[in-house]
Amino acid sequence: MKSTTIFFSLLFFAITAFSQDNYDADLIPSNLKNRANATIRNEETTVDMRAPDNVILNVKKAVTVLNKNGEEKARLVLFYDKSTLIKSIKGEVYNAAGILTKKFNQGNFSDESAADGFSLFVDDRVKHYLPSENVYPYTVVYNYEIRYKQNLIIPEWIPQPADDISVEKGSYTFICKPSDELRIKTQNFQGKPEETINDKQKVMVWKINNLFAVKPEPFSPDRATYQTAVKIAAKDFIYYDHKGRYKNWQELGKWNYEDLLKNRKTLPPTTIQTITGLVAAEKTDKDKARKIYEYMQKKTRYISVQVGIGGFQPASAAEVDMLGYGDCKALVNYTQSLLDVAGIESYYCVVEAGSKKVSFDPGFADMIQGNHVILCMPLKGDTTWLECTDQKIPFGFLSTFTDDRIVLACTKDGGKLLKTPKLTAADNFQIRSANLNILANGDVSGKMTTTFAGSQYDDNEEIIDKPLTEQKKLLSGIYDIDNIYFNTINYNQKKSLNPEVTENLSLDIPHYAGLNNNKLFLKVNAFNVQPNIPEVRNRTKPVYISRGSTDEDTIIYNLPETIQTNLLPDSDKSLKTIFGEYTCKTVLEGKKLTYHRKLVINDGTFPPESYSDFYNFINEVNTADNLKLIFSLKK
Amino acid sequence: MKKILLLFILSFSLATSYAQNFNFGAITLDDVEFDRNKIDSNANAVVLKEFGTASIQLNDSKGITELIFEYHVKIKIYNKEGYKQANIIIPTYKDGTREELISTIRASTFNYENGRFVESVMDKKAIFTENRSKYTVLTKFTLPNIKDGSIIEYSYRLESPNLFNFKKWEFQSDIPKVYSEYLVYVPAMYNYNVSLRGFYKLSDTKSEVAKECMRISGTPIDCSKIWYIMKNIPAFIEEDYMTAASNFKSAIYFELSEQQMLSGGNQKYTKTWKDIDYELTSEKSLGSQMKRKDLFKDVMPAILKNSTDDLSKAKAIYEYIKKQIKWNNYYGKYSEDNIKKALDMHSGNVADVNLSLISALSAANLDAEAVILSTRDNGVVNKLYPVMSDFNYLIAKVNINGTSYLLDATEPLAPFGLLPLRCVNDQGRVINLKKPSYWIDMVAGRKTSTSYIMQGKLGIDGKIKGTIITHSTGYAALTKRKEIKKYNSPDEYVEKLDDRLAKIKILKQEIQNIDSVENALTETYEVEFSPVANATEGDLYFNPFFINPVTKNPFNLNVRTYPVDLGAASDERVTINIALPGKYTINEKPKDLAIGLPNAGGKYVLKTLVEDDVFSFSQILQFNKAIYEAEEYPYLKEFYSKIIQNEKADVSLKQTK
Repeated sequence: MKSTTIFFSLLFFAITAFSQDNYDADLIPSNLKNRANATIRNEETTVDMRAPDNVILNVKKAVTVLNKNGEEKARLVLFYDKSTLIKSIKGEVYNAAGILTKKFNQGNFSDESAADGFSLFVDDRVKHYLPSENVYPYTVVYNYEIRYKQNLIIPEWIPQPADDISVEKGSYTFICKPSDELRIKTQNFQGKPEETINDKQKVMVWKINNLFAVKPEPFSPDRATYQTAVKIAAKDFIYYDHKGRYKNWQELGKWNYEDLLKNRKTLPPTTIQTITGLVAAEKTDKDKARKIYEYMQKKTRYISVQVGIGGFQPASAAEVDMLGYGDCKALVNYTQSLLDVAGIESYYCVVEAGSKKVSFDPGFADMIQGNHVILCMPLKGDTTWLECTDQKIPFGFLSTFTDDRIVLACTKDGGKLLKTPKLTAADNFQIRSANLNILANGDVSGKMTTTFAGSQYDDNEEIIDKPLTEQKKLLSGIYDIDNIYFNTINYNQKKSLNPEVTENLSLDIPHYAGLNNNKLFLKVNAFNVQPNIPEVRNRTKPVYISRGSTDEDTIIYNLPETIQTNLLPDSDKSLKTIFGEYTCKTVLEGKKLTYHRKLVINDGTFPPESYSDFYNFINEVNTADNLKLIFSLKK
Repeated sequence: MKKILLLFILSFSLATSYAQNFNFGAITLDDVEFDRNKIDSNANAVVLKEFGTASIQLNDSKGITELIFEYHVKIKIYNKEGYKQANIIIPTYKDGTREELISTIRASTFNYENGRFVESVMDKKAIFTENRSKYTVLTKFTLPNIKDGSIIEYSYRLESPNLFNFKKWEFQSDIPKVYSEYLVYVPAMYNYNVSLRGFYKLSDTKSEVAKECMRISGTPIDCSKIWYIMKNIPAFIEEDYMTAASNFKSAIYFELSEQQMLSGGNQKYTKTWKDIDYELTSEKSLGSQMKRKDLFKDVMPAILKNSTDDLSKAKAIYEYIKKQIKWNNYYGKYSEDNIKKALDMHSGNVADVNLSLISALSAANLDAEAVILSTRDNGVVNKLYPVMSDFNYLIAKVNINGTSYLLDATEPLAPFGLLPLRCVNDQGRVINLKKPSYWIDMVAGRKTSTSYIMQGKLGIDGKIKGTIITHSTGYAALTKRKEIKKYNSPDEYVEKLDDRLAKIKILKQEIQNIDSVENALTETYEVEFSPVANATEGDLYFNPFFINPVTKNPFNLNVRTYPVDLGAASDERVTINIALPGKYTINEKPKDLAIGLPNAGGKYVLKTLVEDDVFSFSQILQFNKAIYEAEEYPYLKEFYSKIIQNEKADVSLKQTK
């Protein structure tokens, strides 16, 4: 399901502007150079909405690339399609002293299809250019103009697109008719835009200056949730010959339903017959839905085909029925049509998919949000969600691709914001038990059983259907131990609403226990060492842990007769913090050594100053996980 | 020379029946029941049969001769992992004047349901074309109704104006093939050089004369009709530490060597090295650019003002060119325009930079030559006859007092004589303005070594404080210098390093010789850390492998098919001296070890001891070769495994009273 199902054909780059001519890199104040790989010297972005089908974007931008790490910041990437015309591009390159060394224009740009991976058809194209400079610093100045023949998606403004970019000066100008009705959302912007209105025009200008670069910090919230941004949506819009008006999610969802989704659900009579027969014996709607879902999974596969009203409209159910494939929209629409046959209500839901949790903004409706579609069945209070692009995923399980986020359901009554289910720390478990024999020469062999659920189910589902050689390769990557051999590999899958994978391994690890000078060295936590996290001093951003987890390992080692059974050093540990809990315990009974470890990580957002506690917690866990026991051998 | 030059030895029985194309849609129960265990039990899909034919034909309507290639394949899909075989992309070439055309695509899926075959024919509307880039068009389609066990079949025809490379045929792909056959018709007026690459041999081949296979201006022309067959071909799987896949994938390549004109003339395409030497040395954008001594006449005295002997002159010129022309990140064996322009613009491609170097060296009366080569990602060059399109790079070679140095001035951070790793690929061809060309091994030229020296003190609190000094040379230094240069300052680089080393705190740092690349890069770090230590009853345990430990065996495959290419030989040394808090004797310690790879391929030496109150540790890890054959793989694996074994042991010290 990691098939990236990006279907919105429009990506905008509203990065902006200038009016200064001296690009001497020495003129950049040192506080703007600090932590920055590039500095935006000046940016002027203007969006002129002359008519719903004639929106002009003009961007002037000067970027100084300070070092090799900043090189990509000089790349200009412009996407276009049938409704987007690139009217002009001009550019110049200046050296460190601010002397003009090169000019370029549209002819220097690479022009490519914007398809990635296997996409049967994509309308989108991309023009991109990166000056081939390798002496730093240097400055690139761009000026380009794009005409959009629609105003459903208006370029948003993000003056500082990344942590390692600083901004000297930037502005965003929006021009429209005084009578145009707009909704505007600003994020992390102090003050108000300058506004001028006359008979013909209303002009609004947002300005920023001196935005500093910041050091990237691990476990930070998504930048999109706090960066400075201005988003604008027009009430009346035109999009690929479709007209509409909306001011909230309810109305946008309604337009989606009425204009894009309705009347695409007709199925051939034979299929209707098949479905009717298929569910006849099932008693509940949920059981019927499961049958239908499994039928759909067996019949179809995901193929990206981005056609139909700028990539927003699904292919008809009849077409999917005939071809046996479709993109996320087509497969959701098809599944919905099949459910209709059995009289089961379902909602077509637009979602921003990906392991990063991104919610629809309840306070601001627009068409930019979302890149994927899933299906929601209300089932009279027993709400059940379906991912329709994956042939293997269990019925009712969304996985980390679309878990715990706000999505837009497009229903006949209009749009509704719904929340997908969350995978909790308790849901995301990994429970392991192993019984291993250690031979006198240090060889280890035995059996190990591990059950994965929740987000950890996701991580392990992929391996199940791989061929044996591939599984062996993957497992020796997962269990990162020198010289590990897997003799038998076997997976059991519990494909329920809360699915589980159980992995049964029998394994050999020659020389796992080190022998030296009549001692045997044993690292007891063989399989699940918590990696360290970077230490960050002067933390500024909140600590964000997007998903929790619970890991429990029990390993029994049957020690060889040759060891002298010493007392174990006191190495048991028990930690409890707001970030989670950890216990580890080793018990020796005769020659039987039992190691038990449990680590719970909690999800949540914690204050910045707590990062050092988090670091200490993880660091202590890591140290405890590396525990090595030393046994004397009989002489 | 009416016959194709076959460059491999033909020793096959002629008893095989040579197939023609097979019928579309003739699916049999044998196809359905084909057991993948016969070829590869891990296969997600298998090519049951593949047939291609290529011929040169006259297109009357266009009035040109063109290449017609027809392809037909039948694939069995076993499981969902194999579904992607049903997604087809055919790339074709186009430019302003010429383009390749795909036509007559036919595709069907066959599912065996309830004892009969159900064919789902792909609709022509499901075929899409995409202008991928300026020169590439993609024709894409996907087959309908794919299920586990489906058999898919498709065929297409390609018309190409490109006669020069005829049409290569890849016997090996990402899935195994039961049977792959390529039939070519070559009119007698064309001579092609044919070469088979890869690890597998042809199962069969045969040639015969096809009478009057085409007509040009009413003249009938005979063709050579040649079959190439390979059976039971394993899937191609890329492995770590390997150069370009094209070096290893089994495929057959063609290159036009000669064409006889109807007028009676004879046009040669690929030639002998003698012809090439003449062409390259007189070529405007190569040979001529090696002779531009005039450009450096005025500046030479200033460049050489501190140089006395030839070697120091060469070094001074190398430094000068590195500063004068910045590489624009393009490869090439020819100058883009000419080196004067490159020098004026202070920017140029690889050839501009290095041709300037050659001219400048010559201007100082040094013996300089050019070397053309193929970079690692471009594959190895054909040694049997010159294939100019194989070469994509040009460097300089200077000969001083009987020693020759290979120089590439595109990397400002590389010292004199260290070739960037991209150039270290088999052999290159030396081009001399006066003498015939010859092959030379492409080797790094400078040693790669890293040494860590630590002086420290163990406190009673269990913490070690000390100084680590690292000296790096060769690729180790080049890589580090490039990394450091990515940051605004060495401070930011070290901060990042400190973040990465979770357990070690860097208190102070100094990095020397970042820009004086002829010297070793020296990093000095004052550090503090707590080794994982247990103290029981006055005994002190710690693991001494805290500097660059080997934690993972990079060679963990059971079977290795291709050579292991590490790029360059290397040498890493760690020396540690730690003052202990009082007098100790060693209770236990990791075994002192000295192990080697066969044929002096490398060694690992470890020695630890305690004298009075100082613990000392020394470790050497050496790889003496850049390339290890697949047969040597188990030794590399075992070598690493032993090192990792040994690193598990701690040092245990007993306090002496």
